[in-house]
Amino acid sequence: MKIAVILGRVLNPAGIVVNRRRGRIFVNREEYVMQPADRCALEAALQIKDGSEAEVIALPRDLLPGDAVGSADVLRRALSMGADRAVNFTGRASDVDDAGMTHVLAAAVERLGGVDLVLTGATTWDTGQSQLGPRLAEVLDWPQVVDAWAVRVIDDRAEVVCQILSSPVRGDRGGGSGYSIFEVDLPAVVTVHPGALKSRYPDGVRLINVYRDDGVVEQWDVAEMVDTGNLVPLLEKRGQDFPPQRERGVQLEGTPQEMAKALAGELKKRIG
Amino acid sequence: MGDSYLDLLMAQQEETPTEEIAAEGGGGIWVVADIIDGAVAPVTLEALGAARTLADALGAYVYVVLLGNGVADLVQILYQAGADAVRVADDASLAEFALEPYLQVLSDLFQTDQPEVVIFGATYLGSQLAARLAQASGGGLVERVVAVSLDEATRTVQASVPIYGGEYFEIVACPDARPQCLTIEPGAFPVPFLDAYRTGEPALLEVAPVEPRVRWVGAAEGFEPPDVPLSRAPVIVAAGRQVDDFALVERLAARLGGRVAGDRGVRDAGWIEAGRVIDVRGVEVAPEMYVAVGVRGDTFHNAAIEKARFIAAIHPDPDAPIFQVADLCIEADPKDVLSALLEALQ
Repeated sequence: MKIAVILGRVLNPAGIVVNRRRGRIFVNREEYVMQPADRCALEAALQIKDGSEAEVIALPRDLLPGDAVGSADVLRRALSMGADRAVNFTGRASDVDDAGMTHVLAAAVERLGGVDLVLTGATTWDTGQSQLGPRLAEVLDWPQVVDAWAVRVIDDRAEVVCQILSSPVRGDRGGGSGYSIFEVDLPAVVTVHPGALKSRYPDGVRLINVYRDDGVVEQWDVAEMVDTGNLVPLLEKRGQDFPPQRERGVQLEGTPQEMAKALAGELKKRIG
Repeated sequence: MGDSYLDLLMAQQEETPTEEIAAEGGGGIWVVADIIDGAVAPVTLEALGAARTLADALGAYVYVVLLGNGVADLVQILYQAGADAVRVADDASLAEFALEPYLQVLSDLFQTDQPEVVIFGATYLGSQLAARLAQASGGGLVERVVAVSLDEATRTVQASVPIYGGEYFEIVACPDARPQCLTIEPGAFPVPFLDAYRTGEPALLEVAPVEPRVRWVGAAEGFEPPDVPLSRAPVIVAAGRQVDDFALVERLAARLGGRVAGDRGVRDAGWIEAGRVIDVRGVEVAPEMYVAVGVRGDTFHNAAIEKARFIAAIHPDPDAPIFQVADLCIEADPKDVLSALLEALQ
């Protein structure tokens, strides 16, 4: 069995400060980490591998220039955690959005051959985008299950646990918690909920080895895989907007009961 | 206002879009409806409000697609919220959401009608459909939109999307590809005024039988998701030494669906273990909501909560440093406030 896991990196928000008044973002520490949902997808793949003969191949979510800081770091990390192979895409420096990346990833899945399951994160931490998995499923003409909490492979099908809260999606399905099991024939694309699984630690020796060995991450030239004319981004960034400056220290007035009531109203509004 | 002008206005309102208009390109602003508990979801009405605004500026019509089983009764509210035309796919195979049957109806429809903009709710249903349809039609997709504006010269929608959950927003547009697909964040747009005088007759769509490729097996009995670490908990209620009754703090956390934590003082009092001390030397947090009950808030504590989205503080001392970082301040003894707060949250 062959599992492709799509992994991306994200700028750790702990290293950035957003100044709403000035409308500027200050990057104090340029530290990239693996997208949390992708980390869970990798863990799901490794758990399947633990109980079978599966081969796990890590692929990148983004097309980064080769000289970008830590462009292959998430792939190396995946190898150190237990992935069998990692492939990076090279040969194009400009931005490629999810629509373009879908074509590259579909070509990679074809080139790998015999892939039974594609796993990736359900959403990105920074932009909250969730379209990559479903777009890829559309191009491959595979079924998809999104926002999975657990994935299990049984023969030629996958059992996926999802939390479904709203009808008509839910209907009479699910218990009180709303977790349901769905079954899908392989090959399929499954996206994994951020926080669904606790990620394992990298193996210390493997971690050292994957950084020592330059050739540990395979390099595939995008131009050999797809017509790069199809990679023109469909979306264009046209600027940034900042929420109003936070007003701190709003003092509630009245008796303790009145203040409690006002606070309860505010808390209810925020937890929906 | 003369009668003739009023007649003209009413005639314009009653005018129904024609197939010719859709065929000419610029095929209107479309909304794919979500249904929750047998009613049109609020996010669909919010999407209709946004669609109406865009359509009025572009001189386009607003169309709604409603899919489900026995949904005919839900149509009129869509007209009232601003739809010019409603297409209904009412079939037993659409009673519960399964991707392929829903996708088939929408793909066939959009292939014929060539929408200019398609708006979905950023829901389980909307997010899946939007991505698949955008890919199938070569369209662009902007997700989790919280505001829209229009570049009228190019008929391009400019959408604001939150970055890192709303720390700031990026404005994104899809200048060339059509349709421009958007999923909108529930609650981000106002529900439009429901005009009871707007009515219409929906068009029924043919529903071809399509076998879903994902099958529901059953409830995942006994499935327990992993614990969220305190550093990533969305709601935290923290206690300080000014709290007399720690059980009330625990009840408040339970009521809010949050986690209990505290400052070093309550750790020293033995109420919480070291792993739940909020402090730059302990756990730094970034919750959506942080309620500090009787926490004085020293420098280390306040630095550890600076990424919290909303902070409410209850403390009797008006000079307590926690009030310098709190959004909402209650200057009172926690024991006077907590019981009333729990009662108000019932």
